[in-house]
Amino acid sequence: MEINNGKYCKIFSKMNEEIDEYDIYHQDFTTVSEWEVFIARIEEILNEWRLAKTKIVRYPTVSKKWISKSEEFSFQGINFKLSYHALEPVSNEESTEDSDGKTIFQELQNGIWDATSHFMDEDDGSPFPVSIWFGLKRYLMFCPEIPLVDGSIIKVVMSSVNIAFANVNCGVPFFVKIREHWQHNYLGFYEDNEYKTSFDVINLKRISNQCSHLTGLVSLFKSKISSPVALDAVMVSAKFSYELKDSEAFAWRKVTHSNEFLSVDGFDVKKLIELPFGSERNPVASILLNAIWPRFRESTIVDSSTFSDIDPLMAPVWKVTLKFRENIACQLSETISKVMNLLENTALIMDTLGLSRSLGIVNPLHKITEAPITISKLVKAAIGQSSNTSEFKGPLPDDLLMPLLYYVFPDAVEDDTFNYPKQLEVEFKSDTNENKLCNYVKTSPESGLVWRLSVTAARLHDAGGLPYLAHFWYEFVQELQYRWEHKIQVPGVAGGAPNARTCLLHQKLQLLNCCIQRVDSSTNQGGNSSDDEFYDCSDDDGTDDLPPWDKPVGRLHRLDNATLKNGAPLYVPQTQDPAPKTEDQLEEDAELMVRLGDDARASELRARMMSASLLSDMEAFKAANPGAELCDFVQWYSPRDWLPDEGGKLGARMLLPGNPWAETWSVSRPVPAARQRRLFDETREAEQVLHFLRSRTVSAVAELLLPAILRVAAAKCHEEGAPRGSVSVGGVDKRRTFEVAAREIYDAEREVCKCLCVRTVFGDGAEGEPLDVAGRSRVLSAAGGALPLPARKEFTLRVKDSVAPQTMRAALSTDMTIIGVFTERIVCL
Amino acid sequence: MKELVATDNNTSEQHEEMAGGGDPKWQKDAADQNFDYMFKLLIIGNSSVGKTSFLFRYADDSFTSAFVSTVGIDFKVKTVFRHDKRVKLQIWDTAGQERYRTITTAYYRGAMGFILMYDITNEESFNSVQDWVTQIKTYSWDNAQVILVGNKCDMEEERVVSAERGRQLAEQLGVEFYETSAKENINVKAVFERLVDIICDKMSESLDSEPAMLAGGARGQRLTEQPQGNSTPNCNC
Repeated sequence: MEINNGKYCKIFSKMNEEIDEYDIYHQDFTTVSEWEVFIARIEEILNEWRLAKTKIVRYPTVSKKWISKSEEFSFQGINFKLSYHALEPVSNEESTEDSDGKTIFQELQNGIWDATSHFMDEDDGSPFPVSIWFGLKRYLMFCPEIPLVDGSIIKVVMSSVNIAFANVNCGVPFFVKIREHWQHNYLGFYEDNEYKTSFDVINLKRISNQCSHLTGLVSLFKSKISSPVALDAVMVSAKFSYELKDSEAFAWRKVTHSNEFLSVDGFDVKKLIELPFGSERNPVASILLNAIWPRFRESTIVDSSTFSDIDPLMAPVWKVTLKFRENIACQLSETISKVMNLLENTALIMDTLGLSRSLGIVNPLHKITEAPITISKLVKAAIGQSSNTSEFKGPLPDDLLMPLLYYVFPDAVEDDTFNYPKQLEVEFKSDTNENKLCNYVKTSPESGLVWRLSVTAARLHDAGGLPYLAHFWYEFVQELQYRWEHKIQVPGVAGGAPNARTCLLHQKLQLLNCCIQRVDSSTNQGGNSSDDEFYDCSDDDGTDDLPPWDKPVGRLHRLDNATLKNGAPLYVPQTQDPAPKTEDQLEEDAELMVRLGDDARASELRARMMSASLLSDMEAFKAANPGAELCDFVQWYSPRDWLPDEGGKLGARMLLPGNPWAETWSVSRPVPAARQRRLFDETREAEQVLHFLRSRTVSAVAELLLPAILRVAAAKCHEEGAPRGSVSVGGVDKRRTFEVAAREIYDAEREVCKCLCVRTVFGDGAEGEPLDVAGRSRVLSAAGGALPLPARKEFTLRVKDSVAPQTMRAALSTDMTIIGVFTERIVCL
Repeated sequence: MKELVATDNNTSEQHEEMAGGGDPKWQKDAADQNFDYMFKLLIIGNSSVGKTSFLFRYADDSFTSAFVSTVGIDFKVKTVFRHDKRVKLQIWDTAGQERYRTITTAYYRGAMGFILMYDITNEESFNSVQDWVTQIKTYSWDNAQVILVGNKCDMEEERVVSAERGRQLAEQLGVEFYETSAKENINVKAVFERLVDIICDKMSESLDSEPAMLAGGARGQRLTEQPQGNSTPNCNC
């Protein structure tokens, strides 16, 4: 006592701090020993938490969420934590029923009985397993910080809590955790004036002989019940669990040899386009089969140490739980992540092949005039010319490379198996594909060249690494070079000027096609251009007698009934179309404009920069309308700046001194569009496109290919049954968009794999539901026709005697846990 | 710059990251880091509805009855304060003439907001609004915000488009509507402020609804230079 005096004072002073009126009234100042203080402390907390049978608040409906509160204190140098756990009420509405000993007891017994229809290994989210074992809605748990192993201390603690429980008249079952911490060993009790219920747990590392079978367990159970039990009154449920480790039979798809297309003999483009999908290894780690006998009498089944007629095949219920591997490696995801990794590689792609120098990428201007290889491989193959000895030999063998190139450029062969569709559809983000995976990634025509090229590149990269990809890219650009030189359109690309809503690679190809087309049409026109011009002007409006230098040239059509100031009809001239540009060029332009700043001078400079097309239009107009004035031009070009008075007058804006319209007009000469300096220099632009593609870094090539790869992958996921995506990305950062999209694909593929596994095993049923006959035979045949030894057995024994339900449950695996709830009448003699 | 030490840290970090592979549109001039956010806005509409006057009124608070008809495209910069943050507005002024369509639509991409303007004294400019909306839908981002503006409301005697018709059209298009006068300085500031507000709202809204973007959203957010975690409904920009 004296030794502990200091501690006692501490506890006492702590108690003093917390004293409120209620405590003062009840405080027993005669408490002197540490033991009594200990009991008083427990009582104090139970009162504070209002857990007395008469005070306890009960709720008609509770959720499945556990709420807890706890207090810590020490006794005999051991720290204890007393905690209270209860299910959270759904609403704050209290039960109208009065709380008294009888109703609480009844509720407790009902819970115990109901719990026997569950199994011990289920989880109810409570911090301790006692609630699921004994069907409790609330319980008190008393945990020592160090294990309570010594029998005498266990006895002292148990009697302390017993006294406190009785003094408070507690309405909640009280558990004490004993033995080693790894053991789930709890001693619990509950009592009122009439009955005492004890909750016992035995947890042993080894299974004792007597408890290893049903017969032994039944006799143990009967011996624990103090009141007599009728013959064959014990009801039993059993669950035998089998772990089926060899679950290959459940793999939903056999391993596809994804690089099969590389074998030259059996080369099949179909194998190439068919993107690998799904997990290469079985995503299922193991299958847990539970054979369940929900209810039978103790005499129905014999299970003793010498003989057992328990047959899992005869169990009324089979339930299966799938356990998936932690990291399911999926093939499509793998292919994509390999390309994603390239984003970190900042080397030039041609360096991979050691070609940068010979291609003159270091010095682009030098290179353009003398391409090292000007004859397309495709053509060479077609005319059967043997390859030049000095020609670059890449890692891809020709007999593999050629079919791949023919697949991307199908117009190079007569065989039309792989021709592109006539109509290339570009599917933009719209209501119809609102929730498609990756719909925020810029697209290009479905099954167009960019799709084919990107998929092929990704597959080659997957199979042969960066050298394959680089070689293929090199050949791709060589072919484009050849097409540019021979004015052959690139197939599989949407027509028209670069569409900024499509991906950059597609825009570049559109631009290249624009260049090819312009050169083509201008050479065609070039032959008879002079005829054109003179033919053009020989209209029937009496201009024939004009001198040739004053003859109108390059007229498109008349502008309604408009006339020039001089009375002559006003003709809309043929004009040069504005230069088609790809988004990166437009961004460069905008950047340049921004750099000029926003003062008046910069503004003027910008106007001058933008005047090139104005000048061209004015010159074309002058050529088509000899003798025209600025106001005539304005009448066509900017009608709101033209006033009809006196045959035509300039609006105020056009009369401002130093305005670029007037200035440009004054320097413009009559030149028809056909003879003007081209606003769009197709040779320069085409060479720039080719140089752009050739001089990319590995990372930049990946950026060009990824949009189509991701979109193809997304389509593949949908085809395989992936649900719609929910991500929408508003940013413009390419890298970030790719990351989000790739992650979306990874998740989708993994989910599809899991889903398909579940479907293979369960058919139309869901996981956790009893299997149907077909399901049972599927599982059995997957297990090889016979089940292994059960990994775990569980028995529940229950009987309702004259006092209350008595139950005992045993879980036998490598270790053994037996729990029992026994209620007896308190007999006072 | 001295007053904004914290912001500068933020923006210089942003700058480095952008240099890595970001969209150059959002890259700041190295010389001009005095802002927390930058919005690109576009003023579009038929020729001579008053786009340039409107912009000069807002940016320089000046008005001239006749500006030179814009050749192609031009821009002005104005920095405003929104909830203690400096917002740099890069406002692009476009030529309204038909022939300039191709050139100007190229600048639509990357614009976060549009001021679509017609002239209340000119029926044709009002009738073209639908065309302009189609242009926006075709060439801009899905998230771009639009405000419809009927300009020259000081010229009441020459009015041919009633305010009611403007309102109805705006409602039909699902956009907000203002009548303004660059000459009398009516509603000019209000239009820009409202547009900035709508863009901010939209930004925080999309951050709210995109947990995936938030998770690793540093990059995505820095595009618009919004501090991370700033997803309160009333965006703090």
